[in-house]
Amino acid sequence: MSWKAKPSATMSIPRRAEPYCTAEMKARWEREVLPKYAVKHGALMPILHDIQHAYRHIPYQAMVEVAAFLGIKPADVLDTATFYEEYSLEPRGRCVIGVCQSIACEACGHTKIVDRVRERLGIEPHETTPDGAFTLLTLECLGSCDTAPVALFNETLHEKLTVETVDRLIDEATKPGGAASANGHGSH
Amino acid sequence: MRLEKPVLTKRIPTWPWGDPKDRHIVGIDEYRKTGGYDALKKALAMEPAKVVEMVKGAVIRGRGGAGFPAGLKWSFLAPPDGKGPRYLAINCDEAEPGTFKDRLLVDFDPHLVLEGIAIACWACQIDVAYFFIRGEYHHQAKVMERAIREAYDAGIFGSRGLMGGTVKHAVECHLHRSAGAYICGEETGLLEAIEGKRGWPRVKPPFPAVKGLFGRPTIVNNVETLAAVVPVVEHGVEWWTGIGVAGTAGGMPSWGTKLMGVSGHVNRPGVYEVPLGIKLSTLVNDYCGGMRGGKRFKAAIAGGVSMGVLGTDQFDAEMDFDIGRKYNVLGLGTACPTVFDEDTDMVMVARNIARFFKNESCGQCTPCREGSGWIYKLLCRIERGDARTSDIDLLLELGLSMGLTPGTTICGLADGNNWAIRTIVGKFRADFERRVKPTFVPVHISSASVR
Ligand SMILES: Cc1cc2nc3c(=O)[nH]c(=O)nc-3n(C[C@H](O)[C@H](O)[C@H](O)COP(=O)(O)O)c2cc1C
Ligand code: SF4
Ligand code: FES
Repeated sequence: MSWKAKPSATMSIPRRAEPYCTAEMKARWEREVLPKYAVKHGALMPILHDIQHAYRHIPYQAMVEVAAFLGIKPADVLDTATFYEEYSLEPRGRCVIGVCQSIACEACGHTKIVDRVRERLGIEPHETTPDGAFTLLTLECLGSCDTAPVALFNETLHEKLTVETVDRLIDEATKPGGAASANGHGSH
Repeated sequence: MRLEKPVLTKRIPTWPWGDPKDRHIVGIDEYRKTGGYDALKKALAMEPAKVVEMVKGAVIRGRGGAGFPAGLKWSFLAPPDGKGPRYLAINCDEAEPGTFKDRLLVDFDPHLVLEGIAIACWACQIDVAYFFIRGEYHHQAKVMERAIREAYDAGIFGSRGLMGGTVKHAVECHLHRSAGAYICGEETGLLEAIEGKRGWPRVKPPFPAVKGLFGRPTIVNNVETLAAVVPVVEHGVEWWTGIGVAGTAGGMPSWGTKLMGVSGHVNRPGVYEVPLGIKLSTLVNDYCGGMRGGKRFKAAIAGGVSMGVLGTDQFDAEMDFDIGRKYNVLGLGTACPTVFDEDTDMVMVARNIARFFKNESCGQCTPCREGSGWIYKLLCRIERGDARTSDIDLLLELGLSMGLTPGTTICGLADGNNWAIRTIVGKFRADFERRVKPTFVPVHISSASVR
């Protein structure tokens, strides 16, 4: 969870002509998401998941569009978008490596895992490589403490990590078609 | 003390009855063939109030951390008033470090959880259920989504009424994915998240059972709590209360079986199903194959970092809901101990846990937001060797000042921080003292005036 200072009145947001919330997205939200919640605001988290998934971040313009779609204030969208770890204001890499840093993983040697990723990618936790390939995150307990140390590569959990497996996973992600490659699906 | 047969892990191969390698996702057909949804059928033939009575009689204590009896909670739910739905929120946030037991059920036997949900919705006449799952459980969300779809297709949920219209009462069940915030495991933070807001816990009262999700009466229960309802309905209260222990130190009883997930320095970490009241040493030596590398036991987190640690001389602690009264920890929590061997640096443990609470404080209450950051910095300083003896006392003073018990915060996250710090420093003070320089007291001040 992070606390971000939000420039309010003076802030101008980058705009593009093409909307982030596409017609297909909106149709799907109307059909599948809105009916699940008693009030429209309730649909915000699933919608932000879709935006994050599609653009690897939540652009400000998208927040304004989502607010209009749900009939809520852009500030309400900003509030939620900045509270949760999974949503990010800055574009994340095509392959997000989330290493667990909680107690069972640290007790079982997570430090050398994080260090190896830092060394290989030349970035610190919560940074993205300049080519947009990788983001390194340090996360809290991923609910797999019995197989510590663990890390998420996008949506896939890797258990009982060693320096060797980390090397292999990064190599695989970098290969053409791999999660981090520009021509890969790079999906979350 | 072992169970004769697996109960919650009936379909999930687990030592000593099965090999984890044989685990697979149990779909609805296999689930039904092995007796699944029979308990729901039985419950639907009973008056809803009778089902609540049963759960009350079994004293199924909340498996999410607080140990509050589920039946009692259910009986607090405000009655239908015709003004809108009443809700069930299933807590699968499972973000307490060291905890990974709910995942086992969702990973392999999701219909057991769904059956528990359906029974709860019948017993409490609840209209809509939200399965709230943490964002990082990507795979588990997919498994659950598929299981919910299967349950709809089989008519368990949906507008025809529970179990294909066996009764008129209809239940909708939705999946809600969170997005990475431990605080959304707190029951009212969870409700805020379903409403699409930031997960700031609410001031209580009003409790969710009166005014919860979208302002309507709501029950929040843990995944394992709801799963435990199924065997209770199936086999009866007497059978359930034949497992586990009565209150061992004046508290409410700890009946039934419990999933305990052991991690850390043991040979076979994993989730085991055991009767409540099992000794930690039995769990480690019998189930987990002993301490890794034959090392000696030094400490264990009782059940998620919020509970604090058991000391070196508390290896034989009985893992039941009275553990807090007997062993100076906050409680049983999630009953998922992380075990540390003799080589473990307790200052590192404290610093790691303090960082967790600093990162996860929602920032709403000053003692928690500021205190958690301050505690973390002090521990980093002690770990670096730059601190003085008085810093240890400052650490304790800070820790003890935050939480619901001292009455300074809105939710229990700060109590977790408080108990982690007070138990680690209290039980391993020598580890800390070895790392600090003595505090220099100027001679011209009488020591009585120096705290
Ligand atoms: C900071 C905090 C985090 C919590 N996290 C969880 C959690 O991840 N899962 C859970 O079931 N309960 C969690 N709880 C407990 C819930 O508030 C609530 O007591 C529980 O979900 C109720 O279900 P039960 O009675 O079935 O245990 C948490 C409580 C606090 C204060
Ligand atoms: S105690 Fe901490 S986590 Fe809980 S509401 Fe207050 S600031 Fe938020
Ligand atoms: S501590 Fe790393 S998965 Fe739980």
